[in-house]
Amino acid sequence: MPVVRLYYEDLEELVGASRDVILSRLPMMGADIGKKAEEAYVDVEFFPDRPDLYSVEGVSRALKGFLGTDVGIPQYDVHPGRVVLEVDPSVNAVRPLIACAVVRGLEFSGPAIESLMDLQEDLHWGLGRNRRKVAIGVHDISRVEPPFKYLAEDPERKFVPLDFTEEMTMRDMLIKHPKGTGYGHILKGFDSYPLIVDAKNRVLSFPPIINGDLTRVEEDTHDLFIDVTGTDPVVHKALNIVVTALAERGGKIESVLVKRKEGDFVSPNLTPARWIINCAEANRLIGFDLPPQELAAALERMRFGAKANDQGVDVEVEVPAYRVDIMHSWDIFEDAAKGFGYENLTLELPKTVTVGRPHPIEARKAEIRDIMTGLGYLEVLPFTLTSEKVQFEHMRRLSSGEIRVLHPISELHTILRTTILPSLLEIFALNQHHSLPQRIFAVGEVVENRKTKLNLAFASIHSSANFSEIRSVADAVLQEMMIKAGIELSKDGAFLPGRAADIIDGEKTIGVLGEVHPAVLRNFGLEQPVVGFEMRWDEL
Amino acid sequence: MLSEIDSKVIKAIIKGATIPQEIAEETCAKVEAVRASADALAEKGLVKVSKSIEETAALTEEGRRYADEGLPERRLLGMEGTSLSELKDPSLKIGLGWLKRKDWAAIEGGKIGSKGEAPLGEDEMALKILLQGPKKTTEIDKKALAALKSRGLVIISTFKSWSYEVTLEGSKAAAEIGETAAEMIAQVTPEMVKSGQWEGNCVVLGGKHYCTRPYDVTLAAVRIYPGKEHPYQRLIDRMREIMLEMGFTEIRGQIIQSSFWNFDALFQPQDHPAREMQDTFYLSTKALIPDFTKVKEMHECGGDVGSTGWGGCWSPEIASQEVLRTHTTSVTIKYLADHPEPPVKAFGIDRVYRREAIDATHTPEFEQLEGIIMDRDVTFANLLAVLKEFYAKMGFEEVRFRPGYFPYTEPSVEPEVFIDGLGWVELGGAGVFRREVTAPFGIDYPVLAWGLGVSRVAMLKLGLKDLRLLYQPDIQWLREMPISLRM
Repeated sequence: MPVVRLYYEDLEELVGASRDVILSRLPMMGADIGKKAEEAYVDVEFFPDRPDLYSVEGVSRALKGFLGTDVGIPQYDVHPGRVVLEVDPSVNAVRPLIACAVVRGLEFSGPAIESLMDLQEDLHWGLGRNRRKVAIGVHDISRVEPPFKYLAEDPERKFVPLDFTEEMTMRDMLIKHPKGTGYGHILKGFDSYPLIVDAKNRVLSFPPIINGDLTRVEEDTHDLFIDVTGTDPVVHKALNIVVTALAERGGKIESVLVKRKEGDFVSPNLTPARWIINCAEANRLIGFDLPPQELAAALERMRFGAKANDQGVDVEVEVPAYRVDIMHSWDIFEDAAKGFGYENLTLELPKTVTVGRPHPIEARKAEIRDIMTGLGYLEVLPFTLTSEKVQFEHMRRLSSGEIRVLHPISELHTILRTTILPSLLEIFALNQHHSLPQRIFAVGEVVENRKTKLNLAFASIHSSANFSEIRSVADAVLQEMMIKAGIELSKDGAFLPGRAADIIDGEKTIGVLGEVHPAVLRNFGLEQPVVGFEMRWDEL
Repeated sequence: MLSEIDSKVIKAIIKGATIPQEIAEETCAKVEAVRASADALAEKGLVKVSKSIEETAALTEEGRRYADEGLPERRLLGMEGTSLSELKDPSLKIGLGWLKRKDWAAIEGGKIGSKGEAPLGEDEMALKILLQGPKKTTEIDKKALAALKSRGLVIISTFKSWSYEVTLEGSKAAAEIGETAAEMIAQVTPEMVKSGQWEGNCVVLGGKHYCTRPYDVTLAAVRIYPGKEHPYQRLIDRMREIMLEMGFTEIRGQIIQSSFWNFDALFQPQDHPAREMQDTFYLSTKALIPDFTKVKEMHECGGDVGSTGWGGCWSPEIASQEVLRTHTTSVTIKYLADHPEPPVKAFGIDRVYRREAIDATHTPEFEQLEGIIMDRDVTFANLLAVLKEFYAKMGFEEVRFRPGYFPYTEPSVEPEVFIDGLGWVELGGAGVFRREVTAPFGIDYPVLAWGLGVSRVAMLKLGLKDLRLLYQPDIQWLREMPISLRM
């Protein structure tokens, strides 16, 4: 989740409240304050559904509402601008969508520039799916000359990318520029790359990779051109988040006329979305009992526009254009609950009457634990992820029925276990410095042929571990579990020939026990005799 | 340890010397020293002392004379008719009184008159016996002796005497100094138990003494450990208990799930970051997925519940990819789809899988608890009340509810518990299933849901610094973690 660094001084000034008030109320608005608060700033995590909070400006806007100093929907004027951007149909295949705006009259000193850059990066992550869906470019507009053009160009086209002094081709940038190697995969398979140029064919941006060095934002930059390109209509929301954050800093938003073959439009569009919500429905979901006026007031604290209608049944809601998370009326109800305060809800247990029932498999597991602990065995809970090496090679068994994960985190965790005994041997190997005998068991899931099944395994290690010991325990376990099974000589290579037995239930072999073969013991690095047992006792 | 003299004395007694003089001879010590030592041994319970007091009667000078001559009253009998005034011997005068007292004669007119019968008295017999030499008072008639003593014919002297025997404890002590009066044994045998002839820790069996060797009971013994459940499992058991107490039915499901049940059914958009290969264990296999028409509609355009949906195009291909379940919610939603009628209260505690590198606070598999309540008219506030109850039962009294975000719940909440020294600690997540989640499965009432990382609780309850210890245990840690540890 994005971590937003909030400088107290900046935040206090923007919000108009002391840091103590802010820090105590912030979590209840839906934020996770980092454990270590620094002298000058605090790091706060916000959720992926609220990219409008990924900047100090966005946070202060929300806080002003939450603290009651500035409630209701924020008003942002979009002044008609003269900048035109023409979209060439050549981008349709590679990166069809663009939204853009001009913001003038900014002062980029201190934290403001850092906040803007962080916001951009967090939006790339949160909304942009690492720039695939959305990529944002911010430019000093004074260095270039409108009208601008968004087109797809030959990868051999050259310009000087940000942080470089030499011209290079777009193709080379994908190989040589750190941003190119990071995001170049998005353009894989395309033979022309997206580009924004000015009236003199100078490059502003090579989305979604890198800006041109020409329009770099410096401390003396005052007027910005912002482009948001992508593959999803959410580009407009991303632009709204950026321009409204800048407006909170005193920027003046100017529209851009976007000319397209499919039809021109004016960007940005900060018109709020209108919802009518039913007050009774909200009360039913949240469990409070608010009249429409109070419901509206709670929403206004969350910076919605909200007005109880004349009948006193519904609330008309205006959703700010920077909110991306309002998909359904319940999303608005949740905000009403936040605005009301979760801590102010009256908690009452539901009246639902039901009788609890354990799952038969869990009840059975508890019995097995009773049996095994009664026999002096310690329970262990090994990982279910293991490797072919441990499951089969080390055990001198043929692989069978195992499920491999596609991208293992390490060669130790490549498959789901089909048996548990190998894990017990691994645990013995980790515990050779402790006194013997050691007797351990595990009861739990294995996965065979994609199905979850249930096994019991136990093992004993000490200098005189032998077949009669494990046979006695096995007999006791079968007796206690009320399993009537036959015992036959086993050919399982994990055990010493003539010292291993299969457990037979009807026609099926359900388990095996015996003296673990010394070759197997050496594979696990063990130096003492081990006897072991494993049995399948159920499946899901 | 016994002193040298004590050792010699106890050995002498064992060899059969019972009285101080004999012991003194045996040990070449003075009688007084022997007595002092024996007393000390008796003090320690090693020797039993029999003290006896003996009285001896002996004749006085006068007594001896009377024993020879006869008592004056006997002599007076032979002087019948003698006038009293003729009696010169003063002792005969004394005899006159006894003559009367014994009723042998009467004095009539100043003369002794016999009455005839005068049998030999006990006193006279005693005199005869004592004439042979001093005798123990017990051998002589008590009355007679008392009478003789009162007449000054007998004196009684008192003698004290000691005799010693060794106790079983003493035998043992002697054995320890090299005398084999009793055999020291480590183990009591069934014969010894049955014999019943025990005194303290010693027994006589077949005429021999055996004593169990005393131990230094303060020394530590060899440690043994009971078989026991894993402490983490005990915590899980406690959570199951709580859920069952609260009326929830336990459910379970497959480890391998389709993306459909793991993500799509929960309205997770198909391009959601959590679905990426980096975070989820994908398998190469595809699952058969149920009729997905409504789920597809919901993702693409919000179905008919007034939602916007995610837009884009929903792919059944992506939904059929199999994964190791990343949360127990995949099992829950499937259960709800199978049980859409209210009321439903269900829970499960099960292992889930996330593609995370292993370190002290991350493991690629861990346990999750999940509970749901579906019923008419249940509310978000009800959910918070259930959470508060649940955490209180878990021993977390202070709970606060911070707004949260989960893709499939709305409203969402992150419960935090207050832990001394740590402050507010986030412990799980909860919310009401979105309509976009429930509607495609015909679930028409609110579903309150919450989940909890059980290993997080284990870290708090077991004071664990490293999660790996739960799964790759140190056996000594398991052995020493007390069963009675409250969790």
